[in-house]
Amino acid sequence: MSVTQIAKFEDLEIGDDLPEESPDVSMPKVMAFCQAAKHVFERFVDHEAARKEGFPAAIVPGIMSQGFLASMIHRWAPGCKILEIDTVFRGSLLVDSKITMTGAVTDTDEEALIVELDLAIIAEDGRTGVIGTARVQFER
Amino acid sequence: MPYGPEAEMTQPMDDENSKADLATVREQWVGIEFDWTTFEMSAPSMVAWAEACGETDPRFTDPNHHDFQAHPGFTTHCMSGRVFPKEFPQIGGGFGIDGGKRVEVHAPIRSGETLTATTTIADIFEKTGRSGTMIFIVQRMEFRNEADDLVSTVDWKMIKKAE
Repeated sequence: MSVTQIAKFEDLEIGDDLPEESPDVSMPKVMAFCQAAKHVFERFVDHEAARKEGFPAAIVPGIMSQGFLASMIHRWAPGCKILEIDTVFRGSLLVDSKITMTGAVTDTDEEALIVELDLAIIAEDGRTGVIGTARVQFER
Repeated sequence: MPYGPEAEMTQPMDDENSKADLATVREQWVGIEFDWTTFEMSAPSMVAWAEACGETDPRFTDPNHHDFQAHPGFTTHCMSGRVFPKEFPQIGGGFGIDGGKRVEVHAPIRSGETLTATTTIADIFEKTGRSGTMIFIVQRMEFRNEADDLVSTVDWKMIKKAE
């Protein structure tokens, strides 16, 4: 079951899906991220330069995709604390494309109020660009 | 062209010689501290990062919020002065690719803080999959605030093709 927002720990169950999201990976947004991260490499901000490096187009920085997943978790569980987020960059996500983030609850610790999540980002062509996990703590 | 490995890596490596070489490198270098760098945490950068990542929670986007703090992965952009220790042996081919990041959040990072990061080689291992044998080098940065509290740990998995 996909729930837009989780108000408290007791409302969730193993197997729950987080609502899917498609974050903005337009060039201006990626440029803004690269400037904030002091991470302005041509492969991220210039389609033509990225093609010369062998990519189909400019690619979304891996650490930005991790940030998107963290933001999705915060929207799903307002006020929660992300204790750990672990992402594997499996394939390229292209700037100016549509990407889709998914998440699901895989485990819960009722005493510590901690949930474990599986996370993924799917590229526009259906490839999995990022997989990951997170541990998230709820407020008492 | 991927910037991470597309292959599912599950099988152990069979080459005993390579295993021995990697075992020696592991023994000599895992756990060695090799870089110490400081980073200033500024509110404008923290906000710009969070907003670019689509964040809507004011804890991360509003510097006037009573619990304003850096987004969980903010320290992933803080690069150590060196990627590898001086005299670290050449293992694997090429420059390597970014295989992923693991971030552990120990405490909130506040604007105005100066963080000190200590960098170590946390692990070196290999896996074999459809893309062949790959060597994983895990660089760990531990960030402490001015009170010497550990606030963030970032593990960066660098992947190189075994030669």
